[in-house]
Amino acid sequence: MYELLERVAAADPGREAVVTHDTVTTYGDLAADARRVATALHHEGVERFGVVEHDAATVVALLAGAALVGAEACLYPPDDAGTVTSLSTRFDHDVLVSTREDLTAGARLVAPTAWLAGEPEDLPEPAARPHLVLTTGTTGVPRGVRHDWSRLLRGTARVRPADGQRWLLAYGLHQFAGLQVLLHVFAAGATLVAPAPRRPKEGLRAMRELGVTHASATPTYWRFLLAQLRSDGGTVPRLRQVTLGGEAIPGPLLDDLATTFPDASVSQVYAASEFGSTGSMKDRRAGLSVDVLDRGEDAEVDMKIVDGELWIRSRTGMLGYYGEPPVEADGWRPTGDLVEVVGDRILFRGRTSEVINVGGVKVHPLPIEERVGGVPGVDMARVFGRPSALTGAIVALEVVLAPDADPATVKKAIREACSDLPAAAQPRSIKFVDDVSTAGGKILRRLP
Amino acid sequence: MTSATTTSVEITVRNFLDVAGKLPDEFGPDTPLFEGGAGLDSLETAELSALLEDEFGSDPYSEGELPQTVGEILGFYAG
Repeated sequence: MYELLERVAAADPGREAVVTHDTVTTYGDLAADARRVATALHHEGVERFGVVEHDAATVVALLAGAALVGAEACLYPPDDAGTVTSLSTRFDHDVLVSTREDLTAGARLVAPTAWLAGEPEDLPEPAARPHLVLTTGTTGVPRGVRHDWSRLLRGTARVRPADGQRWLLAYGLHQFAGLQVLLHVFAAGATLVAPAPRRPKEGLRAMRELGVTHASATPTYWRFLLAQLRSDGGTVPRLRQVTLGGEAIPGPLLDDLATTFPDASVSQVYAASEFGSTGSMKDRRAGLSVDVLDRGEDAEVDMKIVDGELWIRSRTGMLGYYGEPPVEADGWRPTGDLVEVVGDRILFRGRTSEVINVGGVKVHPLPIEERVGGVPGVDMARVFGRPSALTGAIVALEVVLAPDADPATVKKAIREACSDLPAAAQPRSIKFVDDVSTAGGKILRRLP
Repeated sequence: MTSATTTSVEITVRNFLDVAGKLPDEFGPDTPLFEGGAGLDSLETAELSALLEDEFGSDPYSEGELPQTVGEILGFYAG
């Protein structure tokens, strides 16, 4: 991470690296701050630490400083004090860096300013550059994914310089996707626009007011943003790049985005904390091309399908989970994504954990969600299993109506749209809600 | 949530059967829900159970009962 900053700082120290509504931080600033952090870590003998901090420039300086000296940083999700305490216990963090005053963890609390003061020194090269990423909790209890910066940086080898691009940060920095955005932006020497909080409404405002040209977010985030755009009737930002990832991407959403942002290129990224990124699809078709399968030993990333589940072998992936034996770094791993090959595409059917068991029949939520999402008057839909004393579970829907949509008409249209699905897959409970349950920007289909 | 009067429960069940296309010509407390009456299958019954729970806060099926007629559903709420 430090190398990326230093490369730009050496050539153009005044270039904007991180921008918010109130601040501008240059590459020169960040590189210098990173060196200060590295020096402080070295002097204090800190080898591992947690970070509970929202400000992007501060976080980047901490990450780059850690990478420079070979200390393992770990960004925590913006959780309540109780959760932070349990995470620090779980992941054995004795030191937490934060400006929050409500934290009561047993760990030593350090204010970022303490490590940003002082004169930077030259430090020896570390043997390894570990980094710990906590996975999003949509599939259960968070796990610590162990990475190394040199492996993570492999994914940026082909990023071309792109001074002038202004990328919106729409993910939490604690999320692997957020890290991917950081790596890409700094590898390109571009600018990161990081409004707080990181919600679609603030993202839209940042797009309009801070000159965002590129944005990467989950399909859920994009749907909320489109809904916000339609309801506030304000200017449509002129984006050049729209990237989606983190969840299965519905086909109709791709079309919607292409229509709303006509000057933009639309890409889909398939990635996960565990196996890194597999590159991006730019063809605006749902799913992945079958070309990703069986590429062979020499490929950086290879995929195969076993019993309907997608498996990946990647050289940019993790070293293992915290607290568990290391995995074979370049070995095959199950993704937890169920897929179906239809023609020349691999389509996503849902997570293995999201399958709804209706009276013994296994139902995948995603095809239903896509279908319901396409019904006029539906802004967003969430399909999930609702417990039933009679059948174990039934397929349930939570739907956010478009403004001015009539609930009775939409309900009828939903039933009709699903009427040709097998009986077990038909929604048996439809509720209209103000917004759907999400976590980390992704729809929550299974409560942890 | 609606209060579970005999009338409101009966109306809810009746409307449900109507939308499901399973409303028999003669509808009343004696109407069987399954064989010889509305002929609901297990999924439709599960749907009715969810509907009753959402509408009235509770339903007989979730309490382990298996009403056989409309009247037995009404009886759950009256009791």
